[in-house]
Amino acid sequence: MSAREDILAAVRGALGRLSVDADQVKEEADRLLDDLPAARPALDGMVPIDIFAARVSSPKVAASLDRIGDLAELPTAVERYLQSKGLPRNVALQPAAELQALDWHGIALHDAPEVDECVGVGIARAGIAETGSLVFESGPETPVLAHFLPLHHIVLVRAHSIVMYLDDYAAAALNPESPPHRNVNLITGASGTTDIEGSLVLGAHGPCHLHVVILFDGKRSVTPQAWL
Amino acid sequence: MSSTSATTTDARPAHEEGHGHADRNARVHPLRFLARAEAALADPVLQIAIERTTGTAERKRADAVEGFPQFDKARVLGKRIKDHVIANLDHYLLAFERNAIASGAKVHWASTAGEASRIVIGLCRDAGAKRVTRSKSMLGEEIGLPHALDEAGIDRVETDLAEHIVQLGGDTPSHIIWPSMHRTREQVSAMFHASHRVPHGEETIEAMVDSARRELRDKFFSSDVAISGANFLIADTGSTCTVTNEGNAELTTSPPRVHIVTAGIEKLVPSASHAMAMLRLLVRSATGGDITQYTTLHRGPRQPGDRDGPEEFHIVLVDNGRTRMLKEGLKEMLRCIRCGACMNHCVVFRQIGGHAYGGVYPGPMGAVLTPVFDGLGAARDLPHACTLNGRCREVCPVDIPLPTLMRGWRDRSWREGLEPPAARIGIGLFAFAASRPRIFHLGTALALRVMRLFRKNGLIQRMPLLGAWTRHRDFPAPAERSFLAMYRDAQSGKTTPGSSR
Repeated sequence: MSAREDILAAVRGALGRLSVDADQVKEEADRLLDDLPAARPALDGMVPIDIFAARVSSPKVAASLDRIGDLAELPTAVERYLQSKGLPRNVALQPAAELQALDWHGIALHDAPEVDECVGVGIARAGIAETGSLVFESGPETPVLAHFLPLHHIVLVRAHSIVMYLDDYAAAALNPESPPHRNVNLITGASGTTDIEGSLVLGAHGPCHLHVVILFDGKRSVTPQAWL
Repeated sequence: MSSTSATTTDARPAHEEGHGHADRNARVHPLRFLARAEAALADPVLQIAIERTTGTAERKRADAVEGFPQFDKARVLGKRIKDHVIANLDHYLLAFERNAIASGAKVHWASTAGEASRIVIGLCRDAGAKRVTRSKSMLGEEIGLPHALDEAGIDRVETDLAEHIVQLGGDTPSHIIWPSMHRTREQVSAMFHASHRVPHGEETIEAMVDSARRELRDKFFSSDVAISGANFLIADTGSTCTVTNEGNAELTTSPPRVHIVTAGIEKLVPSASHAMAMLRLLVRSATGGDITQYTTLHRGPRQPGDRDGPEEFHIVLVDNGRTRMLKEGLKEMLRCIRCGACMNHCVVFRQIGGHAYGGVYPGPMGAVLTPVFDGLGAARDLPHACTLNGRCREVCPVDIPLPTLMRGWRDRSWREGLEPPAARIGIGLFAFAASRPRIFHLGTALALRVMRLFRKNGLIQRMPLLGAWTRHRDFPAPAERSFLAMYRDAQSGKTTPGSSR
């Protein structure tokens, strides 16, 4: 017998039965989720974007924050950040068509980040208010390394794409019917480590600074099901 | 499916296979636990290192739980999710396998630690791997992967900072969340100076972290195979989910041509929504955060148009004693999500640290798991190294009755005749006296008199047969009269209990 058959037989032997009713298991699993709303932080009565903005700039996430009213203002916001930190006008721009179509006012651009990239600019698919997380779904316009190689990571997120809870995003975008992305990265703050004597140091292997730019483009906040 | 096959049902403890476990077996020698604990107690630097990390972890977890008033409800839900999965484990294993294969992943099954290691080494050889980058995984440690890779002559690069320190020090993890917690900053600094190409100048922790960043940067991109673990296996999509903080995991798993995930079969959850419910418990219990910096889901290999990511994605599902746990009264332990809260709150762990336990998993969870992996004969001391104060169960995010499970191992050790003769004779004598009231009363009266001779200010600092206790602390002197004697007097109306002074 193969290890696979051995393991399955051992599980069934220990559980004292040969098979299960798949529909019944599914029903039981779904019923467990009925209790989820009572088992997560209470954020009722608030607007996701307000919670998200407060959360991202709180010490727990410790990102810096900027707000713009139009996508065309992103290059100016990036310029502002580069100037405030005294950084060179040279960024790795995530190869997303809508970012590359913008007028970058002469900031030097390249789309593949270097191993020691200084600044990367990207766009998140969604935000999660509960934790202040940014969501990236891998694909041709969203390579994974774009979020991990730069020392400074500047991320645009649309206000209306921010959902309240982790499981709101999971239910909307990580179910069997949703588009299958090879990687989904939930990013919450800059990289860090506490491996030497428990001291927190930022910029372990990933970015050392996270700068979030929220785009308020007049679109109404919608349910996650609606923006998919 | 490119499943490999084992020819026999292997119910032997993993260590008897002798594949990639030589090191660890030497450490889990029954006679060495007490010696290792003694050495740890006598090491003042280690004592400081342990207290710094576990003390901080305890405070941060308390804050995180206080800031999440729904924690108790989340804990009940987490427990129910895991119990549901375990009760339907065959269903979820098959569902996960089906969906993972549909996403382009290759799924392998391993009954034992040795088999799991051999599958991984085989995949590395197939890939012609000279260099392998590894992102920390306790399952990888459990199956002896670091040793197996070294033996196979493959250049192994540990990319997690703590595992990098462990690799430089040539030892093993001493904690499941902070594997190098036994090292002080001075020791880390010396190791980095000795081995890094461009070591830190300034003697700060920031500069040391920077030195490791520089040292590992190019290695991420010269690796042939990436190996990582999984915190959750998501059945309905065939995805794996990993939570990390340093960013090394994604830098490890994105560039190489092949990515191998090794995971225990108990890591399954029905869906990503269930995983999120577990995530809230895991991170708060482990580091006191609400979420880790990086929560990453992997689903299959590189897709058309992707600019990075592996061309081959393998998942190795590992049993290594888990189905035996299910059968032999340890199924509650399969709820464990490897957060480390039990050890951070354990009075014994905080005295002796992780290495004294000798197994891959230290502390209370290790005292339950190590006898499964290495046999009760070798690990008998571990379930005894516990005061049964119940703290581990209180802080466990999935309410595992750890003290009960440890008592179960003690019970079994007694039944199998593994307890040493001194303990058997001592307990035999006690049982003999305790079931004969006259002898018992005579014995306690005699003992009280003898002990009084050694009393000094209400304490006994030294006494024959009490050496093991009094070497580290005083023994409280007994009361003037035994409880039974006072009770007898009270019953006959002579005097009230407590007035005999």
